[in-house]
Amino acid sequence: MPQAPAASTPRPRRAERVIWLAWAALVTATMLAWLLTSGDAQANTTAGNALVGAVVVLAAIKGRLIIRYFMEVRHAPRWLQRATDAWLAVLWIALFSIYLS
Amino acid sequence: VTASSATPAEVAPSGPRAGERRLPGDIDMWVMVLGDMFFFGCYFIVYMVFRARSVQDFSAAQRQLHIGIGVINTVVLVTSSLLAARAVIAVQDGALAQARRMLWATGACGVLFILIKAYEWHDEISHGHTISNEFFSFYYVFTGLHLVHLALGLLILGVALRELRNPRKQRPGIVEQSVLFWHMIDLLWVVIFALLYLMR
Repeated sequence: MPQAPAASTPRPRRAERVIWLAWAALVTATMLAWLLTSGDAQANTTAGNALVGAVVVLAAIKGRLIIRYFMEVRHAPRWLQRATDAWLAVLWIALFSIYLS
Repeated sequence: VTASSATPAEVAPSGPRAGERRLPGDIDMWVMVLGDMFFFGCYFIVYMVFRARSVQDFSAAQRQLHIGIGVINTVVLVTSSLLAARAVIAVQDGALAQARRMLWATGACGVLFILIKAYEWHDEISHGHTISNEFFSFYYVFTGLHLVHLALGLLILGVALRELRNPRKQRPGIVEQSVLFWHMIDLLWVVIFALLYLMR
């Protein structure tokens, strides 16, 4: 994602490009997760768990993209960046751990 | 939000500069957003604990959901967030007419999401998938609570639009706050979609 300011690029145009890229990444991750789960892998098999692991990683990435680029937390104070990252990490680690148990 | 007291004459480019740290929206909206994220997070974990107690039943019920409909709704909501983010950029740039158009388009995507969800609920109910099934009781509560938030988001977008239409008010900060709430709805949906439709 482009973050460094380009001296000749006006801020709105650069900001627009960043959110379009975030949107494209979100749609791609959604399609990828759909493709991964379109098979018949059963729950609690090794193959099924690996696919769900991939789905969890994709969902966590999507969540971080929304928080950083749409909610503009990438420009926010550090306490907010840490709080939102902690929420994502605790949530997905807890959900996947319970899923595997 | 510092911009919330700006007069129309002061509506000018106000976005964050390189390296500058600022709170998007205002602290009151962030308290609401973080609180919602916390409580939804707890409820997501409760769902997974219940699922772990009857994996086969939950997995079988989850396979009755139409992933395609979930994917379409995800794309609709992600697109609405893109439009909402463009509204914030427009308002920071002083382009209030474009900001209004973006907010209308965001709301239209929200209404489309509700219509698709209503179709999905109708389809599930007509196939006998009701709250008598443990998974579907979670499904209806999760998606129902999410719809309530979405309806509230539409109302807040309407308030922002009303402010932008009134030449005496036009507080750019209120657009940032309303859009922040909208993005949270998108964020929660991304989790719900993965949890109910994909982790099966």
